[in-house]
Parts: sequence; structure tokens; C-alpha cells
Amino acid sequence: MSVFDAFTDITLNFSDLIGTPIINEEKNKVGSLTDFFVNYEDIFPEVLALQFKKNNQVFYVRWEHILSFSRKKIIIRNESPVGRSRTFPKICQKKTVTNLMASQFSGQAVEYPPLGKVILDRQIVDTHGKKVVRVNDIQFIRVGQNIRVTHAEIGMRSLLRRLGFEKLVDFFVKIINPNAKYLTGNLLISWKYVHAIPDKTVHSNVRLNLKNDELNNLHPADLADILEDLDPHSRDLIFKELDPEMAAETLIEVEPEIQPMLLKFESPERVADIIENMGTDEAADILDDLSHDIRERIFENIEDDEIQENIQELLEYDEDTAGGLMSTEFLTVKPEHTKSNVMQIIQDELDDMETLYELYIIDDSEKLIGTCPLNKLLLQKEDLKVGDLMITNDIKCLTPETHWKEVANYMSKYNLFYVPVVEKDNTLLGVVFIDDVLPWLLD
Amino acid sequence: MVTGLKKGEITKDYITKLNFPPFLKKIFLLLAVIGPGLITANIDNDAGGIATYSLTGAQTGYRLLWVLIPITVALIMVQEMSARMGISSGKGLADLIRERFGLKITFYTIIFLVVADLGNTMAEFAGIASAGEIFGISKYVSVPICSVFVWLLILKGNYKTVERVFLIGCALYISYVISGFIIGPSFTDIASAIFTPDFKEIQRSDFPIIVGLIGTSITPWMQFYIQSAVVEKGLTPKDLTHSKIDVILGCSTMVTVTIFIVICCAATLFNSGIIINNAKDAAMALAPLAGKYASTLFAFGLFNASIFAAALLPLATSYYVCEGMGWESGVDKTFREAPNFFSIFTGIIAISAFLILIPGINLFNILIWSQIINGILIPIVLLYIIKLCNDPDVMGEYTNTPIYNLVSYLIVFLMVAANIIFIYFEIKKF
Repeated sequence: MSVFDAFTDITLNFSDLIGTPIINEEKNKVGSLTDFFVNYEDIFPEVLALQFKKNNQVFYVRWEHILSFSRKKIIIRNESPVGRSRTFPKICQKKTVTNLMASQFSGQAVEYPPLGKVILDRQIVDTHGKKVVRVNDIQFIRVGQNIRVTHAEIGMRSLLRRLGFEKLVDFFVKIINPNAKYLTGNLLISWKYVHAIPDKTVHSNVRLNLKNDELNNLHPADLADILEDLDPHSRDLIFKELDPEMAAETLIEVEPEIQPMLLKFESPERVADIIENMGTDEAADILDDLSHDIRERIFENIEDDEIQENIQELLEYDEDTAGGLMSTEFLTVKPEHTKSNVMQIIQDELDDMETLYELYIIDDSEKLIGTCPLNKLLLQKEDLKVGDLMITNDIKCLTPETHWKEVANYMSKYNLFYVPVVEKDNTLLGVVFIDDVLPWLLD
Repeated sequence: MVTGLKKGEITKDYITKLNFPPFLKKIFLLLAVIGPGLITANIDNDAGGIATYSLTGAQTGYRLLWVLIPITVALIMVQEMSARMGISSGKGLADLIRERFGLKITFYTIIFLVVADLGNTMAEFAGIASAGEIFGISKYVSVPICSVFVWLLILKGNYKTVERVFLIGCALYISYVISGFIIGPSFTDIASAIFTPDFKEIQRSDFPIIVGLIGTSITPWMQFYIQSAVVEKGLTPKDLTHSKIDVILGCSTMVTVTIFIVICCAATLFNSGIIINNAKDAAMALAPLAGKYASTLFAFGLFNASIFAAALLPLATSYYVCEGMGWESGVDKTFREAPNFFSIFTGIIAISAFLILIPGINLFNILIWSQIINGILIPIVLLYIIKLCNDPDVMGEYTNTPIYNLVSYLIVFLMVAANIIFIYFEIKKF
């Protein structure tokens, strides 16, 4: 005797199932199905109980009391215990027996909200498609004697189904174009990639998918896009959960107008952590937009003095000049350094440098005297001194006051991906990379 | 989203960075928060608004001035609720309606709202056409050119600049105030009309005007707009007081201008028994101030109001429809990324402009009737807003107080009553 004797389909839709009458063995109506309680700790959550309404009051009955499940009706055992609550009390699985029995309540015993309330008609993050979408319907699969949540559905088809127009529209589309993509295309997002957006109703510790950490695997640029699409409250909640490195990378990619908003409610210590995890030129850009007092407090919390100094230097330049675009992370060596010296230096300092294309050779007073492309150095078989390899005449460089348009023209004219920035007396200040100039060109 | 801040715009953070004395800073901060309330209130004085207020003055004199007071109170309350909702939930109105009330309600409401917005956009183009006609430009020239201009403005324009130019243009309305003083009407008469209404004098023919007044002052689409604008500005509960000041300030300026429009029309047109049929007639209300330039002054004001509303309205509609239905939106996206978004505002502009060009259409009637449709739909939207404002899941701790609820429901009741009486009389005509 299977629960699904009267039901042959493999997949079910939330919108189709809602409203199904629930009756007991004596054919008395117990209520109408309104929602499902599922085990959010599964990757594809199993249904634990059904929520139903009778006379405008809300109840739930556990899945094990169901005798027969179909689209027309759901039959439950007589005298099934029925809970009266809008949430499902999840009994925590870990029960260690101690003298006091107090640890029955250890771990977080959590009240789970019903599935529809948490997901339906709400926005979620699709970590596969890397954007924020609104859920129109939810799909289940029949597995053994139970059903499991498998997909969130978006798109026109699910929209029409919720409105009740699906059959009508299908009919017309079939007449016009039997091969239309519309008829077979369902926009389904696997539950693995569905990430609920916490807000006042969805408690931030009810995660739809506790085993799923996809959000942290997103590319920062994609995550930034997602954050831009969200409302400020949800945005903050998600940003708070990111570790400093991910937070830094995401913050850089987010629109400049939103950057201060994300940092507004963070503590100065956390902001300092984040700042330390990004390049000094990006840090300078972000700190530039903050008020003086807040900036001071963040500086107090930055532990690395060198970083702090570098940022302060960069803050002195206008953001639309070479000084504002440049990065202070570049590799300098002396002319007497040999190839093996340089390799050692690189190994020691690589952490601090994002990109390494060229070596800049400076004298004892930090003046730029030559450049050497890294590949040229690597190709040398002998352990030559850098001073013998470097290029010293006609070094292409710019002063920090150069406006970004001129920087772009200069780099385009000489086909440069990177260009050193020097004072008038040739003191090396920083390097402008082409990807720093791109956003200005695109605006 | 709706307003799209650009780099370098005046934001609150920018202001706190500047080194001004604290007192001055507070004023600047207030100015930075102000905006949504001021803009939406001034949008009330768009083509449909000017037409309705002019008609009120011309047809009923001072008799219906008292209606403006409860309307203004209602407007302040409704806008305050929308702003408070935007601040405490951080979400737009269509978003909340979809989340709380589900897809079906959202869908059918949106359909009605889009029809109303279509009517309103038609009214804006009617305003443009009328203004053009005062200058002797045929509507077949002015409307197509302006519709293309509006479309391009939406696609390429910097939104903030559009809003600012619009607000500056609204300064033209001061001409009504000045005109009003020049006429030198009896202010005691006016005061008694406002504060001691004579209910026995209400006639059957007043009801279209009353519903129109309601509809033109509290338009459904404005509620979506102000909430989105507030969310866009990233305001937090700290800014609630400033936001309330913004709303009250905006509504006060609007109602002042409105009253003076009515006064001018009453004193010049009603007293001379002139019936308004088109914009030229309404322009005569400015004659005391501008003499033979009355028409020109009026035309400029009308044109300014119409063209910017014609840009803001379809855009706001696109935004809230996409928000509610879950479609991609944003002017910075390509057509392929957000097809529904672009189709909606393009469609609204195209259809409205096209309908206006139908020969023989009475532009003035469209102006009035579009506002009446608003008046019929607004109680529904208000009910949603009130319901949402009482939901702690949405508002957190900032739900409505019981008295606020009482007044709100009373307002809805009065509006529905006005609608029912109006519809009853209209049906009786047949």
C-alpha cells in the first residue's frame, strides 16, 4: 500500500497542490492544504508536514499520518495528532543524555517557517545564474513514500500557471506554433542554487540549504551584481556574512554609490580588516568617499602601518588623475640584484602584489632608473645582474597630476598595459594598470 | 532603479564630509533627504492637475475649495505611509504587494494601474498638444516630436538632471500666486469657503470634479514612485523625521499653488460665466497678471509640467510592473536583458501619443477623465498601503498607530463614498 497509489506523476507543482482538500478515513473534511513544512537541512528538502487551514485557523499534520496523496484529495488517518502553529517546531536531533536532561534542549531548537511563506513570490539569489530572481512556483519530486523539493521555478510559464491561464495560453500557442520553445521550456533553478534572502520574516539563521555554500563560491563581480539588485536590508545581511577577503573583493566591484552604504553599519575594526585585504589604490578610492571622522577611526584600526601610509599618500591625489588611479604595490629592485635575488624577493613579497609584469629598478634615493619586463628576466639562463638587463633610455612614465584621459591616450599610443608614475625628480610613486583606466573610459 | 544616483551626486555622506558649521550642515542634510516628497507633490500640478483645478474654479467658483483640505491631509498621510514603508522595509511597493498578497492580486491590480497610467500619459500628451496649440503649433507636429524626445530622455537622460529642471520649471506656478494677489479677491470669502463649507450647495455636477480632484492629487502611480525614490536614496529609520518634513513641505507647496489656481480661475472665469473647453480658456485665468501674455505664461507652465511627467510616468510604470511581475528592469540594461521593461514604457508612450493624435478628440475631456479614473482606483491602492503599514513583518516597529489607522480608513471610506455617488449619477444619466 503506497501513499501514492492514486497518484502517478513524478513531478508536482506547489501551485497545483495548494487548496487540495484533506480528509480523514471517514471522509470528513479536515481542512485545505495551504503550505508545506520541509527539512531545510537536506540538499533537496523532504516534506515533513502539511500545513492546512480550516475555518480560517492554521494547523499542520505530519507526513507519516498520510494514507493517500493525490491531486484530488489527501487522506489522513483518523485521530491523527494535529499541531496548531504557523511554524514547525524542529526537534533537534542531537540528544545527549546527562544527569540534568537539560541538554535535550542543547543546540538550536529552531522553529521552521513553511516553504511557501519563505520562498513563493519572494526574491532569491540564483547562485548558478548569478542573479536575483523572483520565484513563481516550486517543484517537487515523488521519491519513494515521500516528496522532496527540487526546483524553484521562474519565467512566463510558471507565471501563467499561478494565474490559472496556463492551459489557455498553451492551447493558443499550440495552434500558432506547435514547435514553440515556450511549450517545452520551464525555467527551473535547482534547489542547490537557491539561496534565500534573509529579512524580517526569514530569520537569517534559517538557511534553505545548510550544506550549500555556493554564495561564497561566486565570483566577486557576480556577487556584486547580485548585491546591487537587492534591497538595502538584505544586502547588508549578506555582506555581513562574508569573510574579509571576499568582502573586500566584492566591495571593489560594487557600484560606487552603494559602497558607503555597505560599510555604514560595520564596525571600524571590520572595515579595517576589509581594507587591509584590498589593494591600496582601491582602498583609497573607497575611503575617499567616507567622512573624515569615520576615516580616522578606520585608520586607527589598521594594524599594518605601511598600508596605512600608502593609503594616506594616495588620498592626496585627485581620483581622476594618474595619482588617483595608481597602485602602490609594485616590485622594486636595485641594479646590483641578480636574477636569483629577484626570484627570492618575488617569493617573499608575492602576497602583497596582485599583478607582476615588470620590475622597476631604483637607485638608493628611490628614483626610477630603469625597467625590465619580467619575461625578459625569466628567459635569462645565467644569473645576470638586473642592472645589465634593464632598459634605461626613453622610459615611458607619467606624473601623478596627469588627467585620466591623457593617461589613456598615452597608454594607447605606446601600447602599454601598465605605466609607472613618477615625480618630476623621477621618484617612483606607483603604477597605473590598464584595468584601472577602463572604468573611466566606459562611463 | 527609478532615480539612479550618479557619481558625484549630492548624497548624505558627501555632505557630512564637508566642513561646514553643524547648523548649516543640518540644513544641507535636510535638503539631501528632501526630494521625493517635493517632486511627487509637484507632479500633482501636471497637465491633468492644472486642467482639473482650472475647471474647479471656473465651474464652481469657491464652492468646492473645502474639498482640498481633506484631500491634502489624505495626501500627506498616504505619502508619509509610503515613505515610512520604504524606509523601514527597504523595498518597493510592488515588491511588497507581491510578497504579501501573492501573484494573482498583484497581476490584476497592475493591469488596472497600467490602464490608468496610460490615461494619465495621454493626459500629459494632451497637455503638450494644448500648450502647442496656444502657440499655434498643430498637435500633429508637437506630439510626435515630443514623444520621441521623451523616449530618448528616458533612455539617455541623467535622471537627476531631469528632476531638477522639472522642479525649477515648477517655479513658474508662482505666476498663479502672484496673479491671485493681483486680482485681489475677497480673502474672507475664500476663508469661509475653505473652512465653513456649505454642504447643501453640493450639486450632482460637482461629483465628477470631486472625484477628479481626489484622483489628480493622490495618483496611484505616485505612491509607487515615492516609495521607490525613498528606497533608492538609501534612507534609514534615522531619516524618518526628515522624510516627514519633506512630505509635509511638498504637499504644502502643492496645495498653495492649487488653491491659487482655483482662485484665479474662479475670479476670472467663473465670475464672467466662461465655460472652459480647452487650455486657451484656462489660460485666461492668468490675464490679471500677464495681460495678453497670459496664454504664453500658462502654456509654458503647462508644457513644462506635461513633458517631464510624460517622461517620469511611463518610466515609473515600467519599474513597478517589472518589480511586481519579477521581470528584469533598469535603463542601463540592454533590450535583450530587460525586454519587458523597455517594451512597457515604449508601448505606453507610443500608444498614448497615437491616441492623442486621433482627429477630433477632445483634449480637455481626456485631461479630466484620466484623473477621474485615478480617483476610482486610488482607494484600492490605499487599502493595500494601509494593510502593509500594519504588518510588523514589513514595518518592524514602525507600524501605524490605531488613531492613524482610524483616520486612514475614514479617508478611504470617504473616497469610496464619493466614487459610488459619482458612478450612480453617471449611470442615471443613461
